[in-house]
Amino acid sequence: MPVTRLLYPLYQLGNPQLRIFRPNWFLTLMRPGKEQPPDTVQFRIPMEMTKYDIKNYLEKIYNVPVGAVRTRIQFGSNKKRDYRSQKVKKPDYKVAYVQLAQSQTFNFPDIFPEKDQTPEEGSMEETQEKFMKDEQQRQKLDPRRGGVTEWFGL
Amino acid sequence: MMGNVGRPTVKMAASSSAGRVLTLCKQFQNVFRISSAINTHQCTSTLTKCQPASLHREKSPLAALSWYSPISPVGQCRALHTSISRRGLEEFFDFPENWGETTVKSGAPWTAKHLRTKSNEDLHKLWYVLLKEKNLLLTLQQEAKIQRVAMTSPERLRKVDRGLFRLESVVKERETALRLLQTGQEKGRPGAWRKNIFGYAYWYRFKEYAIPWYMNRRYKRKRFFTPKFVQPHIRLRLEKHLRAKSRNANFKRDTQSKLKETFPQMKVPAS
Repeated sequence: MPVTRLLYPLYQLGNPQLRIFRPNWFLTLMRPGKEQPPDTVQFRIPMEMTKYDIKNYLEKIYNVPVGAVRTRIQFGSNKKRDYRSQKVKKPDYKVAYVQLAQSQTFNFPDIFPEKDQTPEEGSMEETQEKFMKDEQQRQKLDPRRGGVTEWFGL
Repeated sequence: MMGNVGRPTVKMAASSSAGRVLTLCKQFQNVFRISSAINTHQCTSTLTKCQPASLHREKSPLAALSWYSPISPVGQCRALHTSISRRGLEEFFDFPENWGETTVKSGAPWTAKHLRTKSNEDLHKLWYVLLKEKNLLLTLQQEAKIQRVAMTSPERLRKVDRGLFRLESVVKERETALRLLQTGQEKGRPGAWRKNIFGYAYWYRFKEYAIPWYMNRRYKRKRFFTPKFVQPHIRLRLEKHLRAKSRNANFKRDTQSKLKETFPQMKVPAS
């Protein structure tokens, strides 16, 4: 990840507003664990982001009208133990609940639908699969030996 | 090809040993070599079929497209065309035709060489394109984790990361060049070499304070000097370092000479 540790000038009253030109903040849209109202979208956001940052981010970059933003910090579990029975901490993260404005709704789509994976007729995959099946059949042990290994016996 | 072959073999791994799998793969290769002459026309037909499907990925930020040549000025204008997107939150997801696919095609990551030919404005736009792509991929990854399925083409995340990193470095290069021209300073943040109380010299980067330094008690608490009574310790430290250095050198030389005694034909390493 690009590590630009920008040092912003100290803000004093009357100074111009600070701008971010290349934000390295990345949002993850999450499927809500608990049921949410239809106009609420759940994001996993970096710790440093604030409610105002979220609002600006979505409005300026994604053109999404934002009504209200609520955030919370999710405590990463501390219960797991490693092989030395020392505690292993999962990192904390921030969760934002964004309510869309202008009576927009959003529901999380099913992005992993079931698709039939049968290869089409005459394609390379099909011949390959066929070949593998044949070979498997050929390399099966003799059923008359009843599962005795081939090196045993005469 | 090997990757595709590997998948079915996993199922029958219980019944067959690794050697058998290897011979099997080789056999398949042989068969394929014989039948390749027959298959060629089929392959070409599948390729042409693929092309229209990949056209919509023209917008893909990963792809440094093949028809694009960095020399032609016309191509440079055309290469990075971004229209205003009105998809809103849909941009966090891939195109619906890619949902549930096993693989999604993607181009190579942007190279620094390629990015250097772009204008600042283009780079600024490209940053946002890559940012959106990364958000998309992170969403996909998270959803795959929750549903416990494999993420489609996870190598894309790495590619986007590389693109972002290179873009950042190119922008930094330009900033440095401009600063050198305008102010003669190589670093964006001014600083100076200072010594701490143990006599170590380090690069101290200046920081902005809201009050002057003589009023700042926290700043005055920092000690940027080496007291006189530390001098013998610095001397000892130096001595320790030199002794360790010479000890290592002696050890190396002795081992070499011993080896030379036992193996007179041995070649002496260069260093």
